[in-house]
Amino acid sequence: MEAVSPSPSDAPPLPKPTGGKAVAADRAAGGTAGERYHDRVASWLTAFAMAWSIIGMTAGVYVAAELVWPTIDFGREWLSYGRLRTLHTNAVIFGFGVSALMGTAFYSVQRTCHVPLFAPRLAWFCALAWQAGVLAGGISLLAGWNGGKEYAELEWPFDIAITVVWVCFAIVFFGTIAKRRIKPIYVSNWFYGGLIIVIAMLHLVNSLAIPVTLSKSYSLFAGAQDAIVQWWYGHNAVGFLLTGGFLGMLYYFLPKHAGRPIWSYRLSIVAFWAFTYSYIWAGPHHLHYNAVPEWVQSLGMVMSLVLLAPSWATLVNGVMTVAGAWEKLRTDPALKFIVLSLAFYGLATFEGPMMSIRSVNVVSHFTDWTIGHVHSGALGWNAMITFGAFYFLVPRLMGASLHSVRLANIHFWLALAGTMLYILAMWGAGVSQGLLWLSLDDIGELSFSFKDIMASMAPYYALRLVAGLIFLSGALLMAYNLAMTGKGRRTVAASPPATAAA
Amino acid sequence: MSDALGLSALPRLVTQPMAVFKALSESAPEGHRVFFQLILPLSLIPPVLAYVGGSAFGWRLGGGEPLMMPAQSLTLISLAYFFAMVFGLVSSAAVSAWMAATYGAQRAFGTHLALAGLVAAPVILASAAHLAPHVFINMLVLIPALIWSLYLLYRGLPEALAIPPERGMLMATALAGYLLVAIVSLLGITVALWSGGIGPAIGV
Repeated sequence: MEAVSPSPSDAPPLPKPTGGKAVAADRAAGGTAGERYHDRVASWLTAFAMAWSIIGMTAGVYVAAELVWPTIDFGREWLSYGRLRTLHTNAVIFGFGVSALMGTAFYSVQRTCHVPLFAPRLAWFCALAWQAGVLAGGISLLAGWNGGKEYAELEWPFDIAITVVWVCFAIVFFGTIAKRRIKPIYVSNWFYGGLIIVIAMLHLVNSLAIPVTLSKSYSLFAGAQDAIVQWWYGHNAVGFLLTGGFLGMLYYFLPKHAGRPIWSYRLSIVAFWAFTYSYIWAGPHHLHYNAVPEWVQSLGMVMSLVLLAPSWATLVNGVMTVAGAWEKLRTDPALKFIVLSLAFYGLATFEGPMMSIRSVNVVSHFTDWTIGHVHSGALGWNAMITFGAFYFLVPRLMGASLHSVRLANIHFWLALAGTMLYILAMWGAGVSQGLLWLSLDDIGELSFSFKDIMASMAPYYALRLVAGLIFLSGALLMAYNLAMTGKGRRTVAASPPATAAA
Repeated sequence: MSDALGLSALPRLVTQPMAVFKALSESAPEGHRVFFQLILPLSLIPPVLAYVGGSAFGWRLGGGEPLMMPAQSLTLISLAYFFAMVFGLVSSAAVSAWMAATYGAQRAFGTHLALAGLVAAPVILASAAHLAPHVFINMLVLIPALIWSLYLLYRGLPEALAIPPERGMLMATALAGYLLVAIVSLLGITVALWSGGIGPAIGV
């Protein structure tokens, strides 16, 4: 490929509704007369994602409160920590995360290919079936259906439904790429494509199970094999969904916000392939000092360390892209979220490889440090980049300016404060746990009882609860702000540009 | 360097912080004078307080009796703390001076060193909490101080380096990102040292 630097395509900052005249002009230009981008499905996915973020974060805040006051499950199974926590993770990852990724993928793939979606009805089916699946899945978790695999808890009927929807997602996405009018495939589409393919592979293998009843199945894998498959799945779901998928979002929305191309397009492509190659090996670092071969653990650790290079290549690319566009911060409240998401992306992608080092992991594993690490990624990176993308996207989809810039600015500080407090609380808790659990007295016996250490964590958990409430209140402000922006409006019609650049 | 930027400037960080950063922007202090008048005295405060608190009461991590350490290891830990403080402030200033080129800011090292000291001052002064060596009490005191430091970073940096607030926001975020990574590295190094048999006796 020659040294082209495609930038995400060029819809005007605020697309105006195109009436008959515009279509006539379009035809006169010999272009894409009558074609319309299918944006309503993206609008709805945005709304669904916001709803899931509120549901998922509320469930998270509730389980955080249960760790401070264990009796607030009131003896009801469906309110117990074990069920609500899985609802929390499934709602934020699959409800909020995947809806946001699907919506932004549908929106951006049309604009980077200069064609409307392939099979738009199938796109609607994807969007709606996914919501129905997550909703029913969430209820099944509360009812106690649980396959017992972390981040893949949904039982076999849901696994089959997810597979069907995911295949449809792939058909729509790759179908659109196939009929593109721009020859180079823009880098955001590589990341979204990687997400679709790898998650399909992970889901199919990890979910292989023998059904016994409607609500119970047994995994095909057992023992150490099961552990390896589980963390091959679990870690690559983090990799290709929470990192790769959201990098697709970053690579489209950051240059759009900044109004300039990626700092180094070549670096972004190199980073994509290096990322894809090295991430897939990193899973075994979840199994240090477990009953899996030591060389497998070492491989996982080394590949995790290698992973720092492509992760930070993307970080540099993002920081340098936005460094030249600082004037935009004056007018664009959403760009701040993206700037901040990059800082936490940098933290999380450094912290992860560091925690995969065996001599660090032996202390940090099973402590709340891990929970803090996950949330510096989930709140600081995934949620923050999505907020930045949505504050950009919704006004454009609705053809209106943002209801309140002031509320968005308040949301920014709430999101920053909530994330920082969360991370600090979990660092404090995690390092204390690591030290206290392992402390030996003079005769070589454990110095502290597990129960006492657990009880001493209550203040940290209270702090984390406060942090979660702050973050949730920011998300509520945003939901209100976006709802008011779109109130009484319909998604504006937008067309591919008449002259398709190659 | 004018007296306005020595330790005597610290109370004004609370009353009129922007005036302090404005003075810094206009004075272009020399690096070595900032180092001896601001960085060294600031870096002494937390280790001394930690030594006093640790020897008098022992650290309470939660979960039982306080951890009393012999005077010798306490001295060693306090010394290491002091050098970590100096290294942290100087390296942050170096990173900040390095970033300045990207954001079109002043590049004189003395300015960046003074900026690092002033921004860190609230957290350093809040280390008075080390006199009550309980991890959670320390967190409760240090977190508001950290918020004040972050405020000084975001508001003070563009003032001190004479760049527009928007560019300052980007540079401050880049620095905050660096600091987060530096803190987590420190955690990781500490924990790896424990695993290697240096520090508290743990069973790994």
